[in-house]
Amino acid sequence: MAADVHQQIMPLERKFSLQDSPRSPTVLPWDRFSNWLHCACVVTFDLELGQAMELVYPGHVKLTEREKINICYLSFPDSNSGCMGDTKFHFRIRQCPGRKNHILAHDDFNRECPASLQIDNAYYYGYVYFRQTKDKSIRRGYFQKSLVLVSKLPFIPLLEHMVEIMAPEYFDNGEPSLEAACHDIDQWPEPTPGETLNLPLMGSVVQVRIPSRSDKVIGAVQTKTHTVPQIPVNHVLQSIHETDLFSAFQPVLQHLQLMWELVLTGEPVVVMASSPTLCANAVQALVSIIWPLKYCSDYRPYFTIHDSEFKEYTTKTQAPPAVILGVTNPFFAKTLQHWPNIVRIGETSGDASPRAVLKLKKSSSLKTLDSKPGVYTRYKPYLSKDKTILKRLSKGIQLKRPVEVQSAMLRRFLLELTQSFMIPLERYMASLMPLQRNISPHKGPPVLKPFNVEEFLKTLDHSGPQLTSGLKGDWIGLYRKFFKCPNFDGWYHFRQKEVNQKLQALHLEALCKEDLVNWVRDKQEVEIVDLVLRLKDKMISAQNNDIPVSMDIVKKLKCHLHSIISSLPEDLQSVLKTHL
Amino acid sequence: MAAGPYNYSYIFKYIIIGDMGVGKSCLLHQFTEKKFMADCPHTIGVEFGTRIIEVSGQKIKLQIWDTAGQERFRAVTRSYYRGAAGALMVYDITRRSTYNHLSSWLTDARNLTNPNTVIFLIGNKSDLEAQRDVTYEEAKQFADENGLMFLECSAKTGENVEEAFLDTARKIYQNIQDGSLDLNAAESGVQHKPSAPRNAINTDQPANKEGCAC
Repeated sequence: MAADVHQQIMPLERKFSLQDSPRSPTVLPWDRFSNWLHCACVVTFDLELGQAMELVYPGHVKLTEREKINICYLSFPDSNSGCMGDTKFHFRIRQCPGRKNHILAHDDFNRECPASLQIDNAYYYGYVYFRQTKDKSIRRGYFQKSLVLVSKLPFIPLLEHMVEIMAPEYFDNGEPSLEAACHDIDQWPEPTPGETLNLPLMGSVVQVRIPSRSDKVIGAVQTKTHTVPQIPVNHVLQSIHETDLFSAFQPVLQHLQLMWELVLTGEPVVVMASSPTLCANAVQALVSIIWPLKYCSDYRPYFTIHDSEFKEYTTKTQAPPAVILGVTNPFFAKTLQHWPNIVRIGETSGDASPRAVLKLKKSSSLKTLDSKPGVYTRYKPYLSKDKTILKRLSKGIQLKRPVEVQSAMLRRFLLELTQSFMIPLERYMASLMPLQRNISPHKGPPVLKPFNVEEFLKTLDHSGPQLTSGLKGDWIGLYRKFFKCPNFDGWYHFRQKEVNQKLQALHLEALCKEDLVNWVRDKQEVEIVDLVLRLKDKMISAQNNDIPVSMDIVKKLKCHLHSIISSLPEDLQSVLKTHL
Repeated sequence: MAAGPYNYSYIFKYIIIGDMGVGKSCLLHQFTEKKFMADCPHTIGVEFGTRIIEVSGQKIKLQIWDTAGQERFRAVTRSYYRGAAGALMVYDITRRSTYNHLSSWLTDARNLTNPNTVIFLIGNKSDLEAQRDVTYEEAKQFADENGLMFLECSAKTGENVEEAFLDTARKIYQNIQDGSLDLNAAESGVQHKPSAPRNAINTDQPANKEGCAC
C-alpha cells in the first residue's frame, strides 16, 4: 500500500513550461549564440608579452582581466612538451564573481537535463585548439596560436568537434571565417533536453541529441518520433557529453575501482600527464566515473601554475582541497607531492600491462613526470576488485576491439557499480516520503522525513548493494565516507528539492479543489490578507516553474484569488488587486 | 534552511507611514531581505512584505504594509491603517520638512487605528550624520510627549532596523500578555492561531499537532 503511494508521488513530470510566455518572441542578435557559447578567443604568443589575447569574438562580449589572463595561460601547453602540430584539449575556470550574465535557456536546460550535466553558472569551460608549426616568415620561426571556445556547456565532445571545425578554417582564412561560424551558431535552436538537433556549422551539419533527465540511464537512447532528422547530416555525434573513458584510463585501468572510490567519496586527486590533452581527458573521465551521480566539487581538467587559484589549491598550510586537478608541468610533482592521491598517466603507448597500486613513495621518486603510470595513494579501497571487467577489457585489447566498444563496456560497468551503490539510497529516500493521504488543504504541505544515517545502514541487511552487485567488501564503511563528502550533500539536496516541489504541487492542487471563499467568510482581515499573499507567492512560484503544476491549476488558483478578494470590503479589494 | 518547515502562532499587521522619500520601502527591504536597495522605485499604493520572527519563543509572522508617501495616495489609505497592530512612522533626519509633518501622520495613525496600536517613530538615514537637520534630542522629546517608541536607524547600513521592527513586536506581544490588547476585538490587527481549528486553510506550514489556521 505504502509503496504504491510512493510511486504515485515520485515521478516528477513537468506538465508545462513557459515557452509560450512573453519571454521568447523578441530574439536579439547573439541571444541564441549565447545559449551555446560565451565567446570565441584567439590567443597568440607575443615575443614581448608571452601569451596574449589577440581577439575576442563577438566584440561586445565581456571578460574580466583575470578571466582573460586565465584563458591566455590555459590555452597554451604549460610545459616544454613539444606539442608540434595541432593539439586539442579543454580547461575549466571560475567566472569572476559579481557578474550577472544569466541565460534563461540555461535555466530551462538545468531543469530537464540529467543532474550530472547541469550547468554551473560559476564556471566557464574553454575548448582549445592549439596550433604550433614552423614558419620561417615569423621571428623565432614558429607559428603558435590557439582558438578557444568559451562556454558554460559541459558538452565536451560537441564543443571539441566545433573547435576542430572552426580553428583550422580560422588559421587559414582569418576573422571572416570566425564571423561566419558564429553567425551559424546564432541560428541554432536552444539546447532543449530530449531533443535531437541539427546544427549547421561552416557548411556541414552536426546532429546531436541533448540528454534528458527522463532518459533511461542504461540501455538504448530514446528518440522522440517527431524529431526524425530531415536534413542530410554530415556528422552524427554519438554523444555530446560522454568522452572516451577507455583511452583516458588505459594506462591506469587496473586501478579503475580505486579511482571510482576516490571520486565517489570526494578525495583530492591530482592527475599528472605529459600533455594537456591527456590530463584533460583523464580528469573528465574521473568526473564522469560516478555518473549518473553528479560530482559536486571543483575540478580543473588542465591547471597551470599561472592559474588564479594556484595558491588556494596548492597551499601546504591546509589539507589539500577536495578537488580534481589535471597538470602537466613537472613543477607540480614537487608542489603537490603532499597530495594524498596522485594519478599518473604516461604517454599512451598502447601498453596497458597490469601494475599493482604503488604505495606513496619517498618524495625523491616523485620529482619528475617520468615516473611510471599508476595511482600513488595510501587510500585502501573498501571494495574488492571486479576482475571480470578487467579481463574482458584486456581481451578486447588483444582482439583489437574498437575503443568505442571498450569505452561502452567500461561505462556500463561503472554505471552498474554506481547504481548498485545508489539504489539502496534511493529506496531509503522513497521511504521518507509522506503518504499521499497526508496532503490536505487544511494542513500545510507535508515534508520529507529527515535522513538518518543509522536507520539507512540498518536497511542494508535486507536491501543493500548485495542485491545488484557481487562485489564483497566494506560497503558500510564506503557509505559512511560518502556521507561526509559534497557528492552526498549534492545528491540529497537535489532529491529533497525535487520531492518538496512535487509535494508543493500536490498541495496546490488540493487547495484548488477547496472552497476557499466559504472558508474566508468568518475570518479576520489580517488572516485573509495573509492567505491572499501566500496564494500569490505560490502562484508566482508556479509561474516561474519552481512548482511543477499545470497552467490549468494556476488559472484555477487565480480564479480563487479573485473570488476571495471580491468578497472583501471595497477599499481592501482595490489594494489587493494591484498586487495580482 | 530556507526550504525548512515553519509555523507561526500569530500574525501582526504593521504599516509603515511617513513622507515621500524618507526611506520606508528601503527600511522594509532591509528588514525582509537584509539588503539595501539603492534605486528604489516610488511605491504606488501599497507593497507587502512579510517575515517570521520570534518573540519569547513564539513564532510571529509580520505582515508589513509599506504605504506610498506621496500626498495623492493619502486619500486611499484608510484600509491600510485598519487593523494595524503596529505603525512605523518614519521621517528623514536630513530633511526637516519630513519631521515637521509628523503630527499630521500621527493624527492619521491615531484616528484610523485602535488605541492599542503600537506606534514607533523612526528617524531614518542616520548614516548621513553630516547632513543632519533634526537633532536626536528634539525627536526623542517629541516621541516621549506623544507616548511613542523611538530609534534612529539607517536602512543603508542596517543600523537599528531589526531593533525597530522587533521592539514593536515585543511591545505588541507584551500588550497581549498583560491583556491590554484584546484579540477578540475585530480590529486588533493580531491574529492568533486557534489551537483546534475546525476548518483551517493552511498554505505553507507543515501539518503539526496544533494545526494552524492559515
